[in-house]
Amino acid sequence: MADHFAAFSFVDRITDFTPGVRARGQFAVPAALPAFRSCLVAEAVGQLAAWVAMAQVNFRGRPVAALASETRFHGDVAPGAVLGLAVEIDSCDDEAVAYSGCATSDDALAIELLDCLGPMLPAAEFDSPEALAARFELLRGRGAPPGRFDGVPMPGIVRGAGVPGESLAAVLHVPAMAPFFADHFPRCPVFPATLLLDAQIGLALQLAAEAPDLPAGTQPAPVRITHVKMRSFIPPGEVLALDAQRAPTGGGTGQIMLRARAGDKTVSTARLEYAPRGVA
Amino acid sequence: MTQPEITRDEIMAVFPTIAETMADALGCDVDDIKLDVSLIEGLDAESIDFLDMVFRLERAFKIRIPRGKIVENARGTLSEAEFEQNGLVTGVGLAQLRAYLSEVPAERFKTPTKVKDIPRLFTPETFCKLVISAQRSAKAPG
Repeated sequence: MADHFAAFSFVDRITDFTPGVRARGQFAVPAALPAFRSCLVAEAVGQLAAWVAMAQVNFRGRPVAALASETRFHGDVAPGAVLGLAVEIDSCDDEAVAYSGCATSDDALAIELLDCLGPMLPAAEFDSPEALAARFELLRGRGAPPGRFDGVPMPGIVRGAGVPGESLAAVLHVPAMAPFFADHFPRCPVFPATLLLDAQIGLALQLAAEAPDLPAGTQPAPVRITHVKMRSFIPPGEVLALDAQRAPTGGGTGQIMLRARAGDKTVSTARLEYAPRGVA
Repeated sequence: MTQPEITRDEIMAVFPTIAETMADALGCDVDDIKLDVSLIEGLDAESIDFLDMVFRLERAFKIRIPRGKIVENARGTLSEAEFEQNGLVTGVGLAQLRAYLSEVPAERFKTPTKVKDIPRLFTPETFCKLVISAQRSAKAPG
């Protein structure tokens, strides 16, 4: 169980806590990591909200990723940085938690999550409620030892067919085994939605980079992702078909509709807005 | 206390915002959102879409809609036991459901009706009623 609360856990300590209302916390990004991607910063914010929600229902339920109205990308987080996390809970009960939150690094805003909703499912189906409660007490107290996270093997995508600047398809092979499955979740391994989104954003940026209206000397960078909707759990070993459709808005900016399917079933949808960023 | 019947004018007043909200949630054209279209069978909505629509409507209308509120509203003054037994809507429950979902054609009600299949009957008008009911509750004293 060495990976439990380590391989995919991004809250070291909860420093400020108003039950069912708000919380602040932190996560020390290990300096030895090659990078700490934005999707993991978003995951950290969501996990802080999940701790507040689980505590609110006495660990009967745990929220799962479902809806994120808007995520704004403000800046990168470097390995070695200490993430400051904050969440405001709009509502929380045995059915769902609604929240917004943000993460900062060196006092600069790194990411904002606005109007997210996670349905609450029976916690015991995913993890030991007793272990979760004990972990929460640790996080509320002296905190977890930093440096537990060794990085995530980001699943690669195999590029498929497309129309340059208009659409692009790819296949994502979810690993059958990975350390993060022992943490997300111990009793029910699920491929994290944030890792799927990371792969989808990567695909979208490939598409945008090939668009004829992208100004010379720039690369597309994500501005915000909206309408994120996770329709079903993704088990280990699943093969996902990803597709991205671009709607240009001028000046090298644009919106890309993202979809992931498992067979005939759509498992997630989202919309990415991007803008050109100068290449150093 | 029972609420007065919801009028056609009230429904038409909230419908444009509801149609826009639903179209955004379902990723379809706003013109596809007709008052009487079945959300599941006509617009391929899934349970996550219902959650999404309710979440969006709460913000659009600045109201609170408790989960499961549609069925609670549909049940009216009936107790849970009067409305359903062993996962099936009772005879008196079905009559109540038909009255509440008056916009749904009679042939779409099946006998017996499983409680879990009630969302198959929902239309945009159902959500109009839900919003109006929540607005009235918010305005009600005490």
